[in-house]
Formats: sequence, C-alpha cells, structure tokens
Amino acid sequence: MLSNGKKMASVSDMYDVGWEEMRDKLRKWREDNCRNSEQIVDVGDELISEHSSKLGDDVWIIYEQVMIAALDCSRDDLALTCLQELRKQFPDSHRVKRLSGMRLEALERYDEANKHYDAILQDDPTNTAARKRKISILKAQGKSAEAIRELNEYLEQFVGDQEAWHELSELYINEHDYGKAAFCLEELMMTNPHNHLYCEQYAEVKYTQGGLENLELSRKYFAQALRLNNRNMRALFGLYMSASHIAASPKVSAKVKKDNMKYAAWAAAQINRAYKLAGHGTKESKCSMKAVEEMLESMQITMS
Amino acid sequence: MPIQLTSQAYCKMVLHAAKYPHCAVNGLLVAEKMKEKKKDSHGEPVLCVDCVPLFHGTLALAPMLEVALTLIDTWCKENNYVIAGYYQANERTKDPRPNQVAEKVAARISENFSDAAIVMVDNSRLTMSCFEPIVHIYDHHENKWKSREVTFDCFEDWSEAQKITSALLEGRSYENLIDFDNHLDDLRNDWTNPVINKSVLDLC
Repeated sequence: MLSNGKKMASVSDMYDVGWEEMRDKLRKWREDNCRNSEQIVDVGDELISEHSSKLGDDVWIIYEQVMIAALDCSRDDLALTCLQELRKQFPDSHRVKRLSGMRLEALERYDEANKHYDAILQDDPTNTAARKRKISILKAQGKSAEAIRELNEYLEQFVGDQEAWHELSELYINEHDYGKAAFCLEELMMTNPHNHLYCEQYAEVKYTQGGLENLELSRKYFAQALRLNNRNMRALFGLYMSASHIAASPKVSAKVKKDNMKYAAWAAAQINRAYKLAGHGTKESKCSMKAVEEMLESMQITMS
Repeated sequence: MPIQLTSQAYCKMVLHAAKYPHCAVNGLLVAEKMKEKKKDSHGEPVLCVDCVPLFHGTLALAPMLEVALTLIDTWCKENNYVIAGYYQANERTKDPRPNQVAEKVAARISENFSDAAIVMVDNSRLTMSCFEPIVHIYDHHENKWKSREVTFDCFEDWSEAQKITSALLEGRSYENLIDFDNHLDDLRNDWTNPVINKSVLDLC
C-alpha cells in the first residue's frame, strides 16, 4: 500500500510470478551486481511484506539488498524498516553498522557516517568495506583529489582488490589523467587476461591520450578485445577509428599506412555486417545502416 | 542566436538523466537546418527539435564520442538536421556547471554551428512534476561559456513540455529510453527512440 492509501497493483499480479521467482530474481540481481534499484525495491518490498516467513535465512541478505536499493530511491521508510530488522537480528555486526553508515550518507549526514566507519575501523582496521565507504563520501563531496589519494593508499595495502583498481581508473579518467588511468587498467588486464572489457577500456584510454604511439597501442588492444569477444562493438568501432587515424597520419611509412588501411577496411566490413545482422529491415534501422555506411565512406575519403 | 527547446527535446534529456540517477549522462541537441541565412535572422531563436542521448557513466573518453558524433552527423544530413547543442547532467546533484568534457564537445560542435549551446541539467531540481524548467543554458561569449537566464521563452511550449515530461517520468518511460551506449551494447537498440517519440506525440 502506498502511504496515500492508493492500492497499487502488486508485482506478482502484474507479472504473474510467484514468490519463489521473485526471490530468484533478487538473487540473480545480487549475483550480477545490478543497480536496478527501482525494480529491486518493487520486488523486494512485496517479497518482504508478504512472504518473509517463507524466505528462511535468505531473508537477511534480501533485507540488505532491498535496504541499499531503497536508499538509491530515497525510500528512507523502507530502508529504515530493513535496517531495524537487521539490527535486531545482528546487534553487534560491523556489516550492519556499515549499512547504518550508508543510510546516513544517503541523508547527506557525512560527518555522522564517517564516525560510524571510524568506529568500525577502530575495532577492525582491516575492514575494507568501511574504508571504501569513507572514500565514497569523499567522492560524493566532490573531493576527487583526496578520494584518489585515499584510494591509492588503500590499494598499497589491498593490491588485489579489482573493484578498487577499476574505481581508481574511473576517478583518473574523470580528472583527465589518462596515463594513471591506463596504469590501473594494466593492473586489471594482468590479473584478468581474458576480460575483453578491460582490454577495450584500456584501448579507449590510450586513444584518448593521443599521439601516434598511443594510437598504435590502442589499435592493438582493440584488436585483442575483439579476439576475446568478437561481438564487442566498441572494440570493432575502436579498431576502425584507430587504424583509420594511423593510416591518415603523415608521419607513418607507406607500409604502416597500407597495413592500417587493411585493418580499417576489415573492421568496416565487419561493422556493416553487424548492422545488417541486427537490422530487421525496419525504416529506422535502414537509416542507421545508411548512416554507418556513409560514415565509413566519408572516412575512407579523408584517408586516401 | 539563442536556442529554444521543443517538448520532445526537453523531455528526452530529462528522461535520460532520470534513467541513470547515479551516473553522469550526456547527449546532443539537433535543430532543423535553415535553408538560407536570412539577413534579419539575428536574435531569432534556433529551435532544437530533438536530442540524441549519448552516454552514461564515464563521459571523458574519445573514441566512442567520435563515432557517435560522426554517425549522428550523417543521420542529421539525411533528415535535414544540424547538431546545434550539447547537454550534460553531472554525476553529483550539487554540481550543475559545465566541465572540460562539455566545453570540448561544444567547441567541436561550434566548428559546424557557430551558435552552439551547452544545456546543463540541474539534478538537484529533478522532480516528478517538474513545474519549473530544470536546465541551465550556456552560450559562448568572448571565449567563455556564460549562463543565460532560463525563461519560458526558452521553450517552444513550456506548459506542454512540462505536462509531457511529468507524465513520462511518472510512467517510468525512462526505462525504455535508448542512448548510444545502449546501442553499442546491442545494435538493435535504436538511439533515435521511436517509441518514446511516439509517446510524446500521443501526449501532445
């Protein structure tokens, strides 16, 4: 029921699902780390209010998931309900204390939130979750330089934390410090050599850095990303763009120019093919395809 | 020449920001291409009839932006449009000012369209009802981007824009909004947003 008394259609009615499917959906979203907070709130709220007794021990992790989603949607009422259930069940838990801190962050009561996290760290200096929340507060306050500094210090201690390396790469990109962002992505590529997304992001950073050497590196890494996943469109477009720019550069030898024109032509053919496969002959997709063909043609003209 | 926004352009911008509340988002504004430059066209507003949502999350990388600009430019030529502006909603609610990315893209757009504008969405005022326009408009004067006062004249029809945006936000239409990132994830996703455009038309 909404607070204004209007009765809304329940999720189970609207989508014809039972409580088990709702529970399974929530698990999948947890596992995939999705941030579809509105959906989590809709499904989770109903599951908790009407089926909590059937959930067994899963109920606690669901309370946590729904609480965080509720914070994202400014549903402090729901967040507090979940938090109170968790506090009752796990009175001295650091994990729950962190959730209390997150609620304070959502309410922009950053000083109080920091006190919560400092208390956790006093008790347990290795608590990574509390440290990351403190860094998130710096980010929320726009203190990027400090957030970067703290995150670097954190990574000196917890050098295997991939989520942290990725966060740091994003912070550097936002500050336009592409060299350091590239370093973070290199760490990630070393520990995850089969991850096509890291390769492709690294290539994008190199491309953005600019200069012939970086363009050639970017082309190589776009190509590598494609080897790892031949459906990565960003890698395909990236390969096309980087090869085209190299071929168009006055500083390259005739052989390099020829090779890159070949790579670009190959990529262009693949892009056209991908669009053909995707388009179902609708008017809009025909326009899209035409736009792609013309774009590829116009770039060929500037290269020759 | 100041820009003016149609309901479709305004509401798609706001829907894009609403779809990704935890990310920065950006996009391009397009206007109809003027047939000849009229001598007395100074001061006449440029009507931005539509917008193309581009990216969410990390906005500061070049390659996909270049692809998008080139592709959308080609699409514009097909439809007699021209890229006339750029919009952005920053990641943090308390930060409505254009940053380096915004200025760089706008400078690039200005090469083809001298009166390009930057439209910044003010996240802190984003509500379901949207009674007031929640954008800041910046024009380029003397090498700086200066904010202009936003009045109802900045819209083709503010009350229509407000009504439509509010209705689409309440109906959670933003879940179906496609940006260029979504398109790159799956080419079948159409960044011209025909479904949303139809909803806008139906509500007019």
